[in-house]
Amino acid sequence: MKEHPDAQYYIRGIELPETEVSTDLEPWGETRVVGKPLPRVDGYERVSGTAVYPADLTLPGMLYGAILRCPHPHAMVTAVDVRRAAAMPGVRAALTAFTPLDRATRPHADMIRTQLFDPHCRFQGEAVAAVAAETAYQARDALRAIQVQYEERPFLADERKALEPGAPQVRDSGNQAGETQVYQRGDVARGFAEADVVLDQEYRNECEIHTPMELHGCVARWDGDRLTLWESTQGVYNVQMQVAATLGMPFSLVRVVGHYMGGGFGSKLQTSKYSVVAALLAKTTARPVKLVLTREETLLAVGNRPASNMRLKAGVKRDGTITAMQFWGSGASGSEPAGGVSLLDWPVRDTYTCANVRTELTDLLINAGPARPFRAPGHPQGAWALEQMMDALAEAIGMDPVALRVRNVPTVSQARGNVPYTSTGLRQCLEQGAAAFGWDAVRAEIARQGNRGTVKRGVGVAAGLWVAGGGGPPSTAVVKIFADGSVNLNMGASDIGTGTKTVMAMVVAEELGVAPDAVEIEHADTGSTQFATGSGGSKTVPTESPAVRAAAVDVKRQLLELAAEELKVEVSTLTLRDGKVVSTQDPAVTRSLTELQGLRRRRSLTGVGYRGPNPANKAVTPFAAQFCEVEVDTASGEVRVVRFVAAHDSGRVMNQLTYQNQVFGGITMGIGFGLTEERVLDVDQTGKMANLNWHDYKLPTMLDVPADMTCVPIDPKDTECNATGAKGIGEPATIPTAAAIGNAIYHATGVRVTHTPVDPLRLVAALAERGEG
Amino acid sequence: MLPPFSYVRAQSLDEALAQLGASDTRISAGGSDLLGCLRDEVFTCSKVVSLSRLDALRGIRDDGRGGVRIGALTTIAAVASDPVINQRYPVLAQAARAVASPQLRHQGTLGGNLCQKPRCWYYRGEFHCSRKGGSTCYALAGENQFHCILGGQGCYIVHPSDTAPALVALDATVQIAGRGGTRRVPMARFHVSPRDDIRRETVLEAGEIVTAIDIPAAPRGLRSSYRKVRARGAWDFALAGVALALQFDGATVRAGRVVLSGAAPIPWRSEAVERVIIGQALTPEVAARAGDAAVEGAQPLKRNGYKVPLFRGVVREALLALAQ
Repeated sequence: MKEHPDAQYYIRGIELPETEVSTDLEPWGETRVVGKPLPRVDGYERVSGTAVYPADLTLPGMLYGAILRCPHPHAMVTAVDVRRAAAMPGVRAALTAFTPLDRATRPHADMIRTQLFDPHCRFQGEAVAAVAAETAYQARDALRAIQVQYEERPFLADERKALEPGAPQVRDSGNQAGETQVYQRGDVARGFAEADVVLDQEYRNECEIHTPMELHGCVARWDGDRLTLWESTQGVYNVQMQVAATLGMPFSLVRVVGHYMGGGFGSKLQTSKYSVVAALLAKTTARPVKLVLTREETLLAVGNRPASNMRLKAGVKRDGTITAMQFWGSGASGSEPAGGVSLLDWPVRDTYTCANVRTELTDLLINAGPARPFRAPGHPQGAWALEQMMDALAEAIGMDPVALRVRNVPTVSQARGNVPYTSTGLRQCLEQGAAAFGWDAVRAEIARQGNRGTVKRGVGVAAGLWVAGGGGPPSTAVVKIFADGSVNLNMGASDIGTGTKTVMAMVVAEELGVAPDAVEIEHADTGSTQFATGSGGSKTVPTESPAVRAAAVDVKRQLLELAAEELKVEVSTLTLRDGKVVSTQDPAVTRSLTELQGLRRRRSLTGVGYRGPNPANKAVTPFAAQFCEVEVDTASGEVRVVRFVAAHDSGRVMNQLTYQNQVFGGITMGIGFGLTEERVLDVDQTGKMANLNWHDYKLPTMLDVPADMTCVPIDPKDTECNATGAKGIGEPATIPTAAAIGNAIYHATGVRVTHTPVDPLRLVAALAERGEG
Repeated sequence: MLPPFSYVRAQSLDEALAQLGASDTRISAGGSDLLGCLRDEVFTCSKVVSLSRLDALRGIRDDGRGGVRIGALTTIAAVASDPVINQRYPVLAQAARAVASPQLRHQGTLGGNLCQKPRCWYYRGEFHCSRKGGSTCYALAGENQFHCILGGQGCYIVHPSDTAPALVALDATVQIAGRGGTRRVPMARFHVSPRDDIRRETVLEAGEIVTAIDIPAAPRGLRSSYRKVRARGAWDFALAGVALALQFDGATVRAGRVVLSGAAPIPWRSEAVERVIIGQALTPEVAARAGDAAVEGAQPLKRNGYKVPLFRGVVREALLALAQ
């Protein structure tokens, strides 16, 4: 076990086993199953309600847990009195900072750094106590009966004031998480001196909160010393290792099952305190315990995309050469270091060719809920700055925004020391996306019509790349074929709603010549499946599909060897199709799998596949360009997103439907980030969250998302990145969205709103400042 | 999670009125907000009286004099899709369509929409604000981006209803039943300003039920509309809205009412706008002056200054749209 050398955020701090490398597999030629628009293998279960999510699970004797949370942004818990709560009907356990069990937990670098119920509460929503009761209602009632004495402390709610003299201190070590990180290549001063135009602009994004449809929650049950957790998680092994470490148990005694989940987006990559709380409540009561957070709890305590403050100075020559970029970014982790500026500068560092780049990132602490990875950490924010700057530069030198971007498409990853990409489809994304959108024609039409009236039309483009998305080791997959020809795939990866199971069934079907729905899948269970990293970083398909393919090929090899022996032909002339062994040379040579004597005798054959390393000294990166059209009512500041065209190079399209699903979902989420979503803290008075519900925290609705969305997949036929040619799509899909809208709003109105969300509040104010409205 | 309460589903209006005796009894009409308020401890209650069986309070009827009577239990969706309402009173149909989301419009009632509790996030949240009996209006010095620019005093909510401004514009009357009999209150006097009483939103006394809303016959030349601006496309309250019910004689506005939503703690009749437009044709110049008049005397708070240009623009554009 060792820390992965290129540890991305989704596996940072997690020990990873090394796996062996499977034999190199030839790239697929024409595929018969992979790439087709196939419905999900678990679609029926998901829509009919027969899929069992953790919150659906009911075990005999099960209790319901609930967590009391600190109502203040900063307070010391001086006393907790649970006597009245403990005496209430149905209440079976109460835990606090002063219960011996809590003291028995161990700090974990990635999860619980102090005590489970830390008396020093540094954010509203920190866990203070927990109960278990016969019903969920009794548990909630019991929470209300717990008497807590809080000693309120001065709080800091606005990270922009974190480093001011006299600011309330979030931690004794101060309000900055670590040193300011500096990245530099070339000489920006020289680059700015060479520029014909230098622009300098500040940008800000408000904090976006994780709100997956499925609430965070789990069921915990002990069988002797063995703990089983049914968990809503993106990675069962992450939870296993973190819970085991916290409770001081061997990994083998912690079984985590996560068969279905209803959205994670990064907030369920790591374990939350509630899972340990559920385990302790179950241990105390010797009963299974279900603990599902409320929506309010999730808004407070399980992660967000932190607010970001950015400044970008960029220089360009008249011919479109970008001579220098200097970027300053700050954000807030929350009350402990949690990646408040994670990857914020990556778009600036790596999206466009530029010899002179300097970035500085400062991660700050505030008394508010923690940051967590959020669908492309740092990237939509960084793209919000970079991509609007690209438009401003293009305008300043009189160049088309698409042309300026195409002019600066890189072929190497500059931020990684100029290593080449295995494939780079950014140019095609821009050019084919523009063609599909009708970029030139619609811009000419708007220019011709003159955009009179209060409702103004505009179009915008933004591009992007995603730092991860190439996947990598480790992963182990097992494919079994039974004597009746049916197939079982065993893998540790979670299907977080993206269609992982469907894609993997298609990979097996491709190799074994069976129908995808004939492939039964065991997955996401540390007790019965193989190790997999968490499903995050847009790396699940590029990580798992080569391992699954290798396992299927291993079974196939064994089957064909058996068949060759029985059919007395060369093994190289045989392949599998429609449940049969067939010859590629002689149609008469064929044998049904069920008639293979070797398979009948053995009852089953097992193939094992491993994820090999990525190509040395290469970068595997997905690219994207999105185009949108908006209508802006300049009297009201309302923005209607009329249509989107999204061109993505995420390598091979494994399934057209799940691919499109990711793209449309990414655009939807990007619309929320750009136009509607914002955590509002009562910064001037109490520091508490004001919009602590799903009405005031405004997710986009169906009416905010255009019906007209087009997905343009760009497949660069990448034969180097891995054995299936797939790169990640989940996160790239949301990176350019908000910036494309911002550029379209500018095109429509001539007003650049640099602060998200661009809702009527901000836009009407910006228009009024310019003398409109 | 909820306070313990008893539940009565009244079989008749008389029974409902008899059941409403206790002081902390709450009425459930559509019930779309009651449980949320109880769960969030906005208020407490010991008894809930459901009106769901009172079919007599449901439906839209011609009053025989050219007007209509809308039962208080008529759903918002029924109001929105009613042909007579759409034909005679577009402002009300449009306002009903602008309410919340399809699910809530099918569940929520017109009476409930008029009697709904404020949506101020301090009032709804864990803040013991003045309206809940505390001594502080947190909105005054806090996050007041969604709060009022007109009519605030001690409390700075905006009234959340879309249908109420439409009904004020139409000069509707609320029919109220109590144990002592019935009374009628003009819509314009139904809601209570915090200047008069910070603890209540309507003139309803304990034990009273809204039974119907009467809308008088549409006068000759009536044109009406409702325009609502919100931060997202659905399931959201007005940042700014305007209900117009104007009588035209040719191009000239002869009479009528202009009522703002999202502006004040009550549906805000803007006589300042009416003064500008009555007797005038709605030219761009008149509409612009009307927009300016809409925000005369506005007192924006720290974070809702945007509402001044917003109302200016929305009132102007709504008038121009109605004039076409």
